[in-house]
Amino acid sequence: MIYTIRNSFLKSRPTGLMSYVRKSTSGSSAMDYNRFLNPFSAKREPSLIRELTKIYANSPPGTIFLAGGLPNAGTFPFAETNVKLKDGTTFSLSGRSLEAALQYQPTQGYPPLVKKLKEFQIKTHNPPNWDNYEMIITAGSQDGLCKTIEMSLEEEEPIVVQDPIYTGTMAIVKPFRSRLIPIEQDKDGMCPDALRKALQNFFKDQDKRSSKGVPKLMYINPTGANPTGSVLTLERKKEIYKLACEYDLLILEDDPYYFLHFQKENPVSFLSLDTEGRVMRYDSFSKVLSSGIRVGFVTGPKPLVKMLELHMQVSTLHTSSLTQVIIHNLLESWGPEDLHGHFKSIQTFYKSKRDIMLDAAKKYLTGLAEWTVPEAGMFLWIKVNDVVDTYDMVMERGAKKNVLFVPGRAFMTDPSQPCQYIRASYTVPTPEEIDTGMARLADLIREEKDLQK
Amino acid sequence: MSGMRNMWQLSGQILRKQKPSVITDYSYFVNDLAKGRKPSPLRELMRMLASASSNVIFLAEGLPHSDTHPFNEARFDLKDGTSITLSGKLLTSALQYGPTEGHPDLLQKLRQFQERFHNPPGFDDRDVIATVGGQDGLCKTIELCMDFGDPVIVPSPTYSGVLAMMRPYRPKFVTAAEDKYGFCPYKLREAINKYWSHGNSVKAPKLLYLNPTASNPSGTVMPIERKKEIYEIACENNLLILEDDPYYFLHFDNSEPQSFLSLDEEGRVVRFDSFSKVFSSGLRLGFMTGPRPLVQAIEYHMQASVLHTSSLSQIIALQLLNQLGWDGFIKYMKKIRQFYMERRNHMSEVASKHLQDRAEWTVPDGGMFLWIKVKGVLDVYEMVMSRGVHTKGVMFVPGHAFMPDPTKPCPYIRASYSLASYEDMDKGFARLAELIDEEQHHQAQR
Repeated sequence: MIYTIRNSFLKSRPTGLMSYVRKSTSGSSAMDYNRFLNPFSAKREPSLIRELTKIYANSPPGTIFLAGGLPNAGTFPFAETNVKLKDGTTFSLSGRSLEAALQYQPTQGYPPLVKKLKEFQIKTHNPPNWDNYEMIITAGSQDGLCKTIEMSLEEEEPIVVQDPIYTGTMAIVKPFRSRLIPIEQDKDGMCPDALRKALQNFFKDQDKRSSKGVPKLMYINPTGANPTGSVLTLERKKEIYKLACEYDLLILEDDPYYFLHFQKENPVSFLSLDTEGRVMRYDSFSKVLSSGIRVGFVTGPKPLVKMLELHMQVSTLHTSSLTQVIIHNLLESWGPEDLHGHFKSIQTFYKSKRDIMLDAAKKYLTGLAEWTVPEAGMFLWIKVNDVVDTYDMVMERGAKKNVLFVPGRAFMTDPSQPCQYIRASYTVPTPEEIDTGMARLADLIREEKDLQK
Repeated sequence: MSGMRNMWQLSGQILRKQKPSVITDYSYFVNDLAKGRKPSPLRELMRMLASASSNVIFLAEGLPHSDTHPFNEARFDLKDGTSITLSGKLLTSALQYGPTEGHPDLLQKLRQFQERFHNPPGFDDRDVIATVGGQDGLCKTIELCMDFGDPVIVPSPTYSGVLAMMRPYRPKFVTAAEDKYGFCPYKLREAINKYWSHGNSVKAPKLLYLNPTASNPSGTVMPIERKKEIYEIACENNLLILEDDPYYFLHFDNSEPQSFLSLDEEGRVVRFDSFSKVFSSGLRLGFMTGPRPLVQAIEYHMQASVLHTSSLSQIIALQLLNQLGWDGFIKYMKKIRQFYMERRNHMSEVASKHLQDRAEWTVPDGGMFLWIKVKGVLDVYEMVMSRGVHTKGVMFVPGHAFMPDPTKPCPYIRASYSLASYEDMDKGFARLAELIDEEQHHQAQR
């Protein structure tokens, strides 16, 4: 290990990571992970000091470590932390657990939490070939997604995305001036036929794997897609997975609403189907435990997760230790049953809010708009009848009417095209606010139709 | 500067009165990728929410409901006997999504902080944002500005993290050795002239990176006179100064150093502060201060990546700062300074005891590290990484980690005095002495 670092230090080409990448592909002969690294990220190298820390962790007792860069946690002003949960559970951090919460942690994450989340993933998804995967805790799942795209995408390279698409993903992709290959979705998620057609068209005259300028990444938000609320069915996932294999695509499974579904069972994820090692999965605690504390986790093939680690080593270092230790304690205190119970209570909570909005929509918008019942997530995706584009209606006239929605154009892969949709969120407003809001929307739509005449 | 101004341009009205050469167009410093970044429309909508009147019904945001957060209260008991309790509304904001740039109350406090400690000229043209540790601000600034093959100015030695950040760009490092006061202006000029004299060099360097207080690894503290000279060099060469200052309060002097930010009449300084050595490294809370166009660009990148740094960390830091007040904060930092100074003193003694004639070092003026030059050994890599680890059971960092060119032989090692017990320091240096003796013996035989 030492000599690998040394070699990569001394030579101008980074042998350290690439030989790691080559070794790791031996487990799955189909996957060449080198293909998914852009030339920039391929040049990242491990931090010698972070590697030294790992060496120390495995060194014999009695080894004296004067190589660290840690401040002394004794200088931090905290003596003890006590956390009370709503269900009455309490836990406190002091001594070593407090020090862990206040000190630098390994980039991958607070080790007990990483261990727990690995157990969680195995239990929840039971991915095939688990030994080929690694996990890393990120400052929110979006940072994992962002760093993956920054690792892989090259300038002007196309990327397959579901359409409409989460605006955050657009923001990540935009600077690359990437050509988006939009795949339509309906209430059951991305349409495999549309995907097949789009890929066939694109690759008509190009060799699948070797050309530059072919898509390598496919972004999917399968559960409670933002903004449509669609839930991708298992049958479709299997078809889409087959296509990903055929065209050698990585599937970026962005699943922050995975536990916010209104179905009987948890959906079956792409990760569970991943026989070839082509899924990078992004999980989040933002919608189920807390959004502000920034904890997400990435599960994916070892060489690719390792690349994310290298980028994090020089940027965020790791997500807040305090957050990680608190989450770990919470998961320990609760155990899998209580956690499951918590998810169920959240699902019930949001389902009732969804239903309040659906009732209000029926009451005020019948005849004016159409929508399908979202099976997961936080949003209602409303198609306004007889209105060509909702942008000004929402942003100007809606604002004047003291009601704010998101115009559908924000989610279109081609924002220059008119869009009839708006996105309404049912998570936070009170029932009264939802009622008033939808009533104002009805007025807005009627006025808009008059304006158009 | 008529009418239409794009995001990279400032009017510079305030600074222009003092210095006509103030920067008004930052697009020169920014790479094409970053120029393509746009604000995320949803985050912009969040801004509207923050300033909307209570009459507005907001069905636009994608916020989870705070009822679903399982936390009721978090209490932080402090060593001085006081405590910080987060419950109700305060806990809600600690657990909820917030603005990308940071919690407004914290930002206000940080702006006051910067005014108090640095009083930057033309502060109104600058923004302050909270980052996930000081390093993420720095990393994003490198990612904002650098292009493949760019020349970039760094001291030798310099912080290994920033070298790692830059290396994927395969930069041309324009560098000069530090002396006991840090980067030497005269050597810096020489290095820049040498770079240009190569003739084929087409690109002008745009960035100058410094870690001016208790520099990692050398422990030097740059005096204000040098800073003024280096600032002039930056003006002459149209450079941005990346002032990376996580050890700003960890100097061993009686009063805080004067920063580059305090001298910045032309709008060239991007400053990175950190709470990692102050309140807690685990909180991941730093803040970046710089010209508005650059900070805004970093904000756009954060919108697409981390969204914002932990709200919980922000609220804790805010409460701490409020409870301490400025005088309390300064007293508090004095104690920390004292703590590290005693440890430095001890390691210096131990070094003197074991390393006489075996090595040279300057007693650091701040920070957590001793930067040791081994005598009679050309290159310490194998000595440290192989024999040190496996044979003697002692670990240091070989100096190569801090060199822009790690392929050159390097006789330096870095030792940290922040954590080790005094007993371990003694043992560790005794082992180092043996290591060096053996190494010198080997070298003599070859």
